[in-house]
Amino acid sequence: MSIGSDKLNFIVAVILYGVSAIYSIFIFRKGFRHDNRINYCLLLGGFLFHTAALFQRGFSLNRCPIHNLYEATTFIGWTMVTAYLCLGLWSRLRFLGAFASPVLLAVGVFALMPGLDVKSETMVFSGGWLSLHVALFVLAYAAFGLSCVAGLMYLTQEHDLKFHKFRAVFSLMPPIQRLELVSGRLLVTGFILLTGGLIVSALFARQMNLRFAADPKIVWSIFVWALYLALIIMRWKFSQGGRRFAWGAVFGFLFVLLTFWGSSLLSPIHKPTP
Amino acid sequence: MAVVVIGLSHHTAPVTLRERFAFAEARVPEILQNLCSSGAADEAVILSTCNRVEIYAATSLDERNAFAKLQAFLASIHDYRDPLGDEIYTLGEPQSLHHLFKVAAGLDSMVLGETEILGQLKKAYDLSLQHSHTGAVLNKAFQKAFNVAKHLRTETNIQRGSVSVGSVAVELAEKIFNALDDRHVMVIGAGDTSEKTARALLSRGARSIIVSNRSHERAVALAQELGGRAVHFEEWAAEFEKIDIVISSTSAPHYVLDRAKLEPLMHRRRNRALLLIDIAVPRDIEPEVNFLENVYLYNIDDLQAIADDYLKQRKDEIARCEAIITEKAQALIGSRRPPAGITPSARPAFGHE
Repeated sequence: MSIGSDKLNFIVAVILYGVSAIYSIFIFRKGFRHDNRINYCLLLGGFLFHTAALFQRGFSLNRCPIHNLYEATTFIGWTMVTAYLCLGLWSRLRFLGAFASPVLLAVGVFALMPGLDVKSETMVFSGGWLSLHVALFVLAYAAFGLSCVAGLMYLTQEHDLKFHKFRAVFSLMPPIQRLELVSGRLLVTGFILLTGGLIVSALFARQMNLRFAADPKIVWSIFVWALYLALIIMRWKFSQGGRRFAWGAVFGFLFVLLTFWGSSLLSPIHKPTP
Repeated sequence: MAVVVIGLSHHTAPVTLRERFAFAEARVPEILQNLCSSGAADEAVILSTCNRVEIYAATSLDERNAFAKLQAFLASIHDYRDPLGDEIYTLGEPQSLHHLFKVAAGLDSMVLGETEILGQLKKAYDLSLQHSHTGAVLNKAFQKAFNVAKHLRTETNIQRGSVSVGSVAVELAEKIFNALDDRHVMVIGAGDTSEKTARALLSRGARSIIVSNRSHERAVALAQELGGRAVHFEEWAAEFEKIDIVISSTSAPHYVLDRAKLEPLMHRRRNRALLLIDIAVPRDIEPEVNFLENVYLYNIDDLQAIADDYLKQRKDEIARCEAIITEKAQALIGSRRPPAGITPSARPAFGHE
């Protein structure tokens, strides 16, 4: 890894997300009102390194860098930090960084796991199908990530309201009902995209005569799909909204982050030989 | 010409004295006219509220002379003959400008950081302006005071939050519900605080108010005042399904609402969020209901604690506000001084001067 290489830039970005996540603990203690500007600057710094890493990778390959798991994950993280930086232009929404940075750190650390960044030339999928497949999954997991952020915000605010903390009224957080709504909508959006991604994959696998159902990664994806479907049904059919739903959104995404890597390594389709 | 202040406020004088010196609004223009023609002031604004009576004047007299004349005017206009001591305060520059800025920002008010005083000050200034009793000096000072008040409101926490129980309840509702529009509010027990809280919720958009009281006549009367409807006390639970906010203030010696009663009601409400405000002593709502999911229970002490925290936070901001005020007052005085090297006699004369 040479100095100034795309990987090094990405590592610097992840370190800055980490510093921001630690700093967020102080913001959390102060009720999300103070020093959000510093946090914004930290995430902006991370974003600059992150963008540099994406561009370097893109220019070196002469294509959009989302063709292996490392690239796809860094792209999900980049989408999230960009969304935050745009929202953070409004000072009232800058506190969102305190919730975005731990998720960005988790996504960044995940992307740096060994074995994810392999050359994509040997991928089975290629062309338009591959782009559609990747785009749908990337957007689905980005939506689940944002739903997790909204869920974390809900849990914090709900806890403060339950235990009569001054922070509950003092903080700039939106009302919990709105957070629940946002988290729910993002989760449904992610679910629809994931469904689309699975359908596209199934159709293409059939075309390529691949053993679709036997691949561990596909089994894992179907499990994730079922997990989110269960969450949605629990919420809308059995009124299990509120705190349980928020925990569901958080644990759902944590599960994705923690098992995505393993399932990819086990899958012969998704783990091409370098 | 300098700005001076003479007056008495809740800090220095009891209400019995403040009411003796209060000015009726209708008489203010005439009194201002008398004041300016007496030679005690060239420009003047009279501020008369329940907590303070103050004359802000711009005068070319020396301070001691100006204060003596203003005090004599104040005593004579109210026909007050008893001796006056520390009840009356007199402030010359720069303290007079500090004071004006502090009053505008609510820093000198009984409820620290309250905003009503700014409206009263603007009204007093407008009255004087309309009758041409202000000039360049007071116009500049008052405009600056309004600017400083706005600056402090946006840059510090001096006016943030609610320091009354009713307003805290509204803030809590706004932190739970997406919008207060079309929220259904139930008032159980028609007390003064519950009425104020209900009114505050109505002013923020809550639509439906249901009042239930042991005395049905009182419930009907309050419901009419609030534009809601009354239900019999025995029937309030039947209305619970569509309720989002409950304000309870009955004088019942036992719990009106307990966990056993609320649990099945929550199922019927499909676990929608419910804010319970219990301002009764002894309490109306069993504390254990707070353990139910999506139920948020606040009693009078919880609300008071939040109001106190806000007040504490406002007090913590005083030093910051004072520093800003000092800086702004100095800037105002500095802007009046002629540029270095030009003495007043060397300045070219304009207009009638």
